[in-house]
Amino acid sequence: MIQLTINGQPVEVETGATILDAVRKAGFNVPTLCYHPKLVSYGSCRLCLVEVEGARTLQPSCVVPANNGMVVHTDTDKTKSARKFILSMLFSERNHFCMYCQDTDGDCELQQAAYDEDMTHWPITPAYKPFLVDASHPDFILDNNRCILCRRCVRACTELVGNATLGFEERGSGSILIADNNVPLGESTCISCGTCVQVCPTGALIDRRSAYQGRETDLTHVDSVCMDCSLGCERVVKTRDNRLVRIDGNLEHGFNESLLCSDGRYKPVSETRKRVTTPMVRRNGQLEPISWDEALSAISAQFKAHDSSEISAHISPRQPVEALSAFHEFFADHFKAGQVALLGHDQTALASVKLAAEIGAFESEISVLKDCDAAIVLGVDMVKDHQVAGFFMKRQAMQDLKLFIANSTSTSLGEWSSNKIDYIGTDYPAVVSLLRGFAKGETANLTEKLQQLGLNPAHAEKVLGQLKESQKPVIVVGNEFARLDNLQAFRDLVLLAREIGAKVVTLKGKGNNFAGGLLGYEMDAQAKTAPVFYLALGDGHACEHTLEAMSGSEFKIVQSSYISEITDAADIVLPCTIWAEQAGHYLTSEGKFGLNQQAIQAADGNKSVLDVLEVLAGKSGLTIAETWRDSVQEKVAAVVLS
Amino acid sequence: MTKPKVASDWLAGCAGCHMSFLDMDERIIELTKLVDLRSTPITDLKEPDEDGVDVGILEGGITNTYNEEVAIKMRERCKILVALGDCAVFGGVPAMRNFPGATAALRRAYIETESTDESGMIPNDPELSFPVHVRPVSDVVKVDISLPGCAPSADAIFYVLSELAQGRMPKVDGEFNDWH
Repeated sequence: MIQLTINGQPVEVETGATILDAVRKAGFNVPTLCYHPKLVSYGSCRLCLVEVEGARTLQPSCVVPANNGMVVHTDTDKTKSARKFILSMLFSERNHFCMYCQDTDGDCELQQAAYDEDMTHWPITPAYKPFLVDASHPDFILDNNRCILCRRCVRACTELVGNATLGFEERGSGSILIADNNVPLGESTCISCGTCVQVCPTGALIDRRSAYQGRETDLTHVDSVCMDCSLGCERVVKTRDNRLVRIDGNLEHGFNESLLCSDGRYKPVSETRKRVTTPMVRRNGQLEPISWDEALSAISAQFKAHDSSEISAHISPRQPVEALSAFHEFFADHFKAGQVALLGHDQTALASVKLAAEIGAFESEISVLKDCDAAIVLGVDMVKDHQVAGFFMKRQAMQDLKLFIANSTSTSLGEWSSNKIDYIGTDYPAVVSLLRGFAKGETANLTEKLQQLGLNPAHAEKVLGQLKESQKPVIVVGNEFARLDNLQAFRDLVLLAREIGAKVVTLKGKGNNFAGGLLGYEMDAQAKTAPVFYLALGDGHACEHTLEAMSGSEFKIVQSSYISEITDAADIVLPCTIWAEQAGHYLTSEGKFGLNQQAIQAADGNKSVLDVLEVLAGKSGLTIAETWRDSVQEKVAAVVLS
Repeated sequence: MTKPKVASDWLAGCAGCHMSFLDMDERIIELTKLVDLRSTPITDLKEPDEDGVDVGILEGGITNTYNEEVAIKMRERCKILVALGDCAVFGGVPAMRNFPGATAALRRAYIETESTDESGMIPNDPELSFPVHVRPVSDVVKVDISLPGCAPSADAIFYVLSELAQGRMPKVDGEFNDWH
């Protein structure tokens, strides 16, 4: 521990803490601009200068380590005048006119810093030099005229996301923020995760959709969890007047460290599909509006008219655990329906649950990816799917990660790693057998085996050797690998993990796939045609094979938020709430419950999947139990190591 | 004690700051008990008294030679000069013109406008003042109090004037320091 004095007050901080940490721990504040809690401190803006007794000059508190016996002053005439001077220089460089900036009135950290110093004007006249504006990106605009060169965006793009798209060109006051080798952002390697926009302290990176829609304080903030993939990233949904305005990563908590991918941040606020507004029934070949009562009675009559095995029930994994549990209870337990399935074909969750039942819990939490030194990634392209987990891997790849990737298509996941093996193919049993054999020291016919997999033997052998030497290996499996028909290879892989002390992470496809697997769902890849087809689609999309299976059915009931070819083919359509209009839990890949809170009110006439199930259950004289939490939690413990 | 004399004028602004001044509503009556309101652009007397006033207020930035003359005259005739609003304090919206330059801005406005035919021309009457690089008032004359805002609130204006009327220097901070 380090002991020092801040403004006369003694304070104790951990070794390695900065003066800024100590200042804040002592209950004082020093303004900052380039500093960001999620980024490595950089010390470029100099706004955090403090006076340290005995030091020749003022010291940037965000980068100078606290030392024993230091005597620090934060609010002296010297520091105040330095801060004012720094701000005067910043305001003089570019277009920092607040009145025509998007980012204003408390949202701009530069403006706030000026207010904090009681600046009422700019002592230095601006230079009025025009800089590049890049409006080529569909989600945000880069206005270099508002940039203060703090490089938070550049650091976030590299340190947090591992993408390294953003960088600077030119030097000094002429520096401009560019993408790649100065190509338009919209044509660059940008993956539209929006992290740069979220960390920008000024109006240099502007979110297109939420621009001029109000200040942060005008918006209602609702903590939520993303249900696009099974990672369950924590996010904050921002609304105004019952309208979705913007989604940001949650800076306070969550394994995802405030990171989101474009599917979590931008996709939900750029929805263009048309909503279903009223219940509809097919009469004379046409869908016509009817009342909820009529619709639900008609459905109930169909259920009574058919044998339970003649019902095929399908639900989207975007629905919360509450709905999945009720749906399964209603259709599988009470009705004994012929098929009760989750939309999609990703069997990772099901395979994991089945395998764990045989050999015990084997999975680790996602966070092990953040400090692994070697990784075997099988059957998933983490650049496209489960992107935030991919960010962790990409940043490790910049830190000398040893990587073995096996997938049917090539991925840029390891583009920063020089120690990698890229196997493009699907012979996973051979891959697992090779890895397990090598770990055991079996090197007979190694060259041939590597050649059979299409790998360069000399390079592959070198990397395999490095993998073997690693201290914190992880194994990541996904959709292509973790299949019920590949369970033997999966089992061998887990045994390998146990032999070499590797942590296993499985990426479980869409939203609530894990909860679905634990509740006993099958995937609807082999969707069955049945006389009555019930599809709780919600705001999701359905695959071709679901539509195909459905079209063979006599009576098709679809609960959907949006009009699509699925609703066009239905006999009864029920308007359904979207994710933001309903609350519910999501079980993440690592087995934790995340809560999606309701952010906006649905228009009259929409009902959630759960609401409808409760009414239908009532019509059948049933009540839906609400006791899913403990049993799901218990089943998680059988899969994920505590 | 005689009441302090106050004069105001506007330069390149939108008159919004003076509208915000009027927004103080019935407090104007209170204010006139404290100060002798002399020339303003919205009353009959247009120029500050030759023998001087105590407080001069300028709205708007400097965009042409006429603005410069008005600012200099006001400075010469007042003891304390208040720059009122973002345009007077920073240059404001008219200062956007500085990025492309005055010539390009005039071309865009008078010749390249979508509704203008080939007869379009930049006004060149010798009576007209000459456009200059847009600046805040403080770049032309010394400013004693900057009250930023687009527009500054009626509360902020009332606070500044009532403090001055009572012989105190107002400190513009907290909610009154709002650059917008």
